[in-house]
Amino acid sequence: MTTDRGGRIALESAAPPSIEAAGLCWTYAGRSRPAIEGLTFRLEPGRVLLVLGPSGSGKSTVARALAGLVPHVLPGTWKGSLRVGELDVAGTPARLLGERIGLVFQDPDSQLVMSRVDDEVAFGLENRASPREAMQARVPVALAQVGLSGFERRGTMTLSGGEKQRLAIADLLAAGPGLLVLDEPTANLDPAAMHATFEQIAALARVRRHTIVLIEHRLEAALPLADDVLLLDDSGRQLAFAPADAVGPEAVGLLERNGAWVPRAWQGVEAGRTNETGAVETRRTTEAGPLLLEAAHIRIAYPADESGTHLAIDGVSIAVRAGERIALVGPNGAGKSSLLFAMTGLLRPDAGTVRLRALPRDDEAGEPMRDPARLRAGEIAARIGLVFQDPELGFVARTARDEVSAGARAMDRGRGRDAHDDHGADGVLAHFGLGHLATENPFRLSQGEQRRLSLAALALRPPAILLLDEPTFGLDRRGTEAVLRLLDDLRAAGQAQILATHDPRLLPACERVVALDAGRIVFDGSPDAFLAAPPYRPAAPWRDGVALAITSGTAAVAGAAGSR
Amino acid sequence: MSVLPAPLQPVRPAFLTRVTPVARLVAGMAWLVASIVTLDPIVPVRLILAAVVALVLWSGLPLRRIPGRLAPLGLAILSLTAFSILLSSSNGDRSVAAVITLGPARITGPAIAAGLAVGLRVGVIALSTLLVFGPSDPTRMADSLVQQWHFPDRFAYGTLAALRVAPFMAGDWGTIGAARRLRGLQPRGPAARLRETGGRLLAMLVAAIRRAERLALAMDARGFDGGIRRTHFRELRTTWRDWLTIVVALAVAAAALALPR
Repeated sequence: MTTDRGGRIALESAAPPSIEAAGLCWTYAGRSRPAIEGLTFRLEPGRVLLVLGPSGSGKSTVARALAGLVPHVLPGTWKGSLRVGELDVAGTPARLLGERIGLVFQDPDSQLVMSRVDDEVAFGLENRASPREAMQARVPVALAQVGLSGFERRGTMTLSGGEKQRLAIADLLAAGPGLLVLDEPTANLDPAAMHATFEQIAALARVRRHTIVLIEHRLEAALPLADDVLLLDDSGRQLAFAPADAVGPEAVGLLERNGAWVPRAWQGVEAGRTNETGAVETRRTTEAGPLLLEAAHIRIAYPADESGTHLAIDGVSIAVRAGERIALVGPNGAGKSSLLFAMTGLLRPDAGTVRLRALPRDDEAGEPMRDPARLRAGEIAARIGLVFQDPELGFVARTARDEVSAGARAMDRGRGRDAHDDHGADGVLAHFGLGHLATENPFRLSQGEQRRLSLAALALRPPAILLLDEPTFGLDRRGTEAVLRLLDDLRAAGQAQILATHDPRLLPACERVVALDAGRIVFDGSPDAFLAAPPYRPAAPWRDGVALAITSGTAAVAGAAGSR
Repeated sequence: MSVLPAPLQPVRPAFLTRVTPVARLVAGMAWLVASIVTLDPIVPVRLILAAVVALVLWSGLPLRRIPGRLAPLGLAILSLTAFSILLSSSNGDRSVAAVITLGPARITGPAIAAGLAVGLRVGVIALSTLLVFGPSDPTRMADSLVQQWHFPDRFAYGTLAALRVAPFMAGDWGTIGAARRLRGLQPRGPAARLRETGGRLLAMLVAAIRRAERLALAMDARGFDGGIRRTHFRELRTTWRDWLTIVVALAVAAAALALPR
């Protein structure tokens, strides 16, 4: 072990390698089109490469290729060459590559292998037959480097999302690779955890002891760290490879047209862009409609806590009116999911009440407020809907068309309608841009398509209140805009929408922000007031995350269309 | 949303937490065998008493939480015992006097004994499982199987990784059920209910497989199964504690069987 300039003990690692790709092309088995095509670039040792591109542009495939998972673990066809230092990836066993290259994935829950923190850090070392004494020396140092000293005996599942990702980075540091590949390491994290993870990456980038490849949507945080940028288009072809400081107006335009997120401060580059946001304001419901949902003094204990003293929700009251769009924000574990489930009546609060009702028509006073837990399934579906973070968990049918008509069919059962009536499902699919996929199995769609289908499934009989858990998770700018545009449509009829989200970029598209912390409401007001003084410590990540904001789906789409 | 309670973990250092998992496994197996080789209910009663003593004195587990955790199983044991008594073939033996007679139904002494034996055996299994697996986390069991019994890494750590996915599957199962109910799908009749459960299972399996694929990829990326002999961060060695545990467990099992009934 050596000591770095700051006097801290640092782990020895392999020398940072260069990366050289020449005509690199990879096609997954069973796919007709390559995931990445014709990548040709050379990254010098010790530099930080930022890989940018829209969903489906093969960014993750680049990461997998660098780690040797492609072509050594996953089946497919490889063309061209990729060299990491002196190693030719295609011709080197995955085990040897693994000693030089470390990979951090997006989802913290499916990359931690062991149940205790120290075992987890040692896992990669054990696989490489490290002597026990070396492991005992390296594990604490690796943990110290990511700020997790003293966490050795903690269970990995008890860590927060941000701690999990820093642990994943510690796993890599312990193994001492020269090349670190980080595949959207902050995608699952709340703004504060994201900020801490970026600080960690920045600290690694500063010491220049590793070559780093970073795949990241959050351009405003990632670009300052990058030395070079690799830009891919939506079919995996290389659009550009250039030094990061050369990202000028043309590059920004290129990014925007390719659906990548671009900080708002840069958007003025494309003429007239920001002015058009005004048009959307008129689509907002100006006055609050009738009351649709009222939750009063809800308390919910954690299910795993047998003593019942640790509360996921601790005395929350909230009223929701027709036509409102509310952003429900808070750090991981603040109780957002528990609150959403309680609103549907599927999770009975330990104390407090939830009452809701269908959307009243113009000419009537509306039905009385009712307890959702006492409603029949058909009655619930008309009143409240929930779109999950993972749309796959909500699919009920074998084809996209059936998925759209399933809810309507269930509700119309026994009302004398023809069972074979598709209820206009094809029209809905076309509207959601899924017309060509009507007979496709929902599980086989792309992430963005699945998200749109999960909304389309609620479009025929839209519920009065729509709850969405991380509705834009994993979507690029284009996908996010598409979802917001569809939400605008659904809301036009008076639907109330609650978006539980980590993404501050969505806040300007809502009229109201409800912020949770440790099971209590710590803020309820306008997005502007929230962003002016976020009720969290540190506040800066929440405030600054919005730098990338899009004002509304409609406006941004109009802008993007105009820029083509 | 997790529906699984947190696993029981030792809250204080204790004798059994320092015994290697495979030694506890051998001890548990001895009791299991002893409880099933005879139909006499007194043998499982003795083993249950011994298990309770071991849990209280040497397991390090939080004692107050154990009854709550075993309650569902206790109910299952009660109903199993009741059915075993009611359905025992000894009830039909007219040469034995009935202890209870209810109209045409009669329950004999041997039927009660056999039914109790069945229920009590399950009790022995439950308590020994707690003694075998409770005092250390599953990782130690995998370490122990690999280091002391030379189980293949792939099997031991692969199973361990699969165990980590299990709580997520339970969560997914609940989420999928919630999604279906909120979509207004409420199956009526047994056929529709069966179809519904099938669809729910399929969705859960798809999610589980995707998760397992991601985890497998992460393990591969860190050099698991790279074809070289792994080393071990935490060394487990057989000590006098292991031998003592096995000898005492065997002695208790033998005594439970051999003592006058």
